[in-house]
Amino acid sequence: MIQMHNVFMSYQPESSALADINLKIPKGDFVFLTGQSGAGKSTLLKLVYADLIPTRGQVLIDGVNLTRLSRSQIPQLRRSIGVVFQDYKLLPNRTVLENVAITLEVLGWGKRDIGKKVFHILKRMGLEDKVNATPLRLSGGEQQRVALARALVNDPKILVADEPTGNLDDENKEAILQIFKEANNRGTTVVVATHDRRVIENSHRTVIRLDKGRIVEVPNVQG
Amino acid sequence: MSKANKGAVRPKLEQEGFFGRLSYFFSRAVANLRQNVFVSAVTVGTIALALLIASLFLLVYVNLDGMAQGWSDKVQVTAYFDQEPAPLAVAALKGRVQALPGTAKVIFVSQAEAEKRLRSRLKGQESLLEGITQEVLPASFEIRLDREHRDNESVAAYVRKLKQIQGISEVQYGEEWVQRFNSFMNLFRLMGGLLGAFLTITVLFIVSNTIKLTIYARKEELELLGLVGATRFFIKAPFLIEGVLQGAAGAVISLLALLACYYTFLKNAGDFLGINPASAGLSFLPATHLAGVVAGGILLGFIGSATSLKRFINV
Ligand SMILES: Nc1ncnc2c1ncn2[C@@H]1O[C@H](COP(=O)(O)OP(=O)(O)O)[C@@H](O)[C@H]1O
Ligand SMILES: [Mg+2]
Repeated sequence: MIQMHNVFMSYQPESSALADINLKIPKGDFVFLTGQSGAGKSTLLKLVYADLIPTRGQVLIDGVNLTRLSRSQIPQLRRSIGVVFQDYKLLPNRTVLENVAITLEVLGWGKRDIGKKVFHILKRMGLEDKVNATPLRLSGGEQQRVALARALVNDPKILVADEPTGNLDDENKEAILQIFKEANNRGTTVVVATHDRRVIENSHRTVIRLDKGRIVEVPNVQG
Repeated sequence: MSKANKGAVRPKLEQEGFFGRLSYFFSRAVANLRQNVFVSAVTVGTIALALLIASLFLLVYVNLDGMAQGWSDKVQVTAYFDQEPAPLAVAALKGRVQALPGTAKVIFVSQAEAEKRLRSRLKGQESLLEGITQEVLPASFEIRLDREHRDNESVAAYVRKLKQIQGISEVQYGEEWVQRFNSFMNLFRLMGGLLGAFLTITVLFIVSNTIKLTIYARKEELELLGLVGATRFFIKAPFLIEGVLQGAAGAVISLLALLACYYTFLKNAGDFLGINPASAGLSFLPATHLAGVVAGGILLGFIGSATSLKRFINV
């Protein structure tokens, strides 16, 4: 469960990227976060995986207050959250397999276990032919699926995705959304930030709409 | 919410043991080295050059010190008696001298013995000895001091105590140039210390900056590792190992270069300096010093890495 109480976030003293955010996303939910560019979607997602600490207010994940985490406790939190970054953040000089393996290496898994698990998820993503390719040789949709594989390979409690369908054609969008759905069916809480109306309209999911850093529309989610 | 919880239940896999981890960090470190061959070469070269300078200095020092020890073995204190003591008294006096702190060895030279020595030294010129009787040559103790008591002050203090023993009239000791050489060695040690400190600071500065370049080249990777939940240790370990490997490589290269210098010198010393290197007793660095140089290289690489990481990793 993700909870935010009276969260304010300012990058600069005068302006605030987020203002008075209150929300509660139950375990196992699938939520879209929407709003125009600059509304604060990315900022809100970064609060979830403790890349940012709010200027004011509380962020709680499964009851754990992230504003009270010490620096050494943050890795533990992040290991339970899969993140799909807007710019993918794939390492250009490592293969697809190595890029996905990073999530498990960090946990101290052995080589053989990592190999099996990574190969399994790449197959699920339809990337079994690209295992040894480097990311720059892949199409946008393929890169996005590698990023997804890296986020999902350890079956995270929470999956956070920032504009995952941004530059993709309809076919790829559909494939990506299908993967989110499957992850959600396995019990992962999914939060997807997007300004793509069509994606949201077709999904019939909960939508949190942001405007200039404030929540303006919260059907089915109590603040 | 019925499907909740499932995601949280993950199969617990056996974590890798200590050696598995270490081998992972090692393979990452090696991959990093291969990705930054040029910068790594600069780091290794810097460490090698600094260690070469330091170990050349060390080599000269070790050899000079060896010579100094050889010379100072000959430094003796000779205590002369007014009268030749009776044989029984000799044993008692010897005991008293032996009891003085700093005494390594005491040899009694009787008047007869002294005369014999003189005769053998003046072989072929015996005519010079006519008229000289045993009584002219005093009996003496030849005393050798242990290593810790050979500096000027200790010897002076020793001599003062020696003179208090009854029957001893005169004491001779040391040769001045040996004392001077010892002060020179002290100066040499001081210079070595200063040179070492200077080299250490310079090398740490250069090494931490070159390593910083390699870290900078992998900024994105470090950021990503932090975001997927790597601990700071996990992120740092490959860089520290990389530093250690570079330091060790630098040390080995510097020792090889030192060995080359040493043999070149041995080969040419005869021609240029007119000395016979074999009889001059020149030696290479002993094993403990070699280990010290390697340890120094490893330490330089490690500290260089650690300091440059400090500024980068705030994950
Ligand atoms: N690192 C940053 N430094 C300063 N301002 C930022 C930074 N990141 C975002 N902002 C500002 O915060 C606001 C919200 O940004 P963001 O969360 O990226 O919105 P969105 O993802 O909805 O487009 C914007 O006004 C943006 O300019
Ligand atoms: Mg954004």
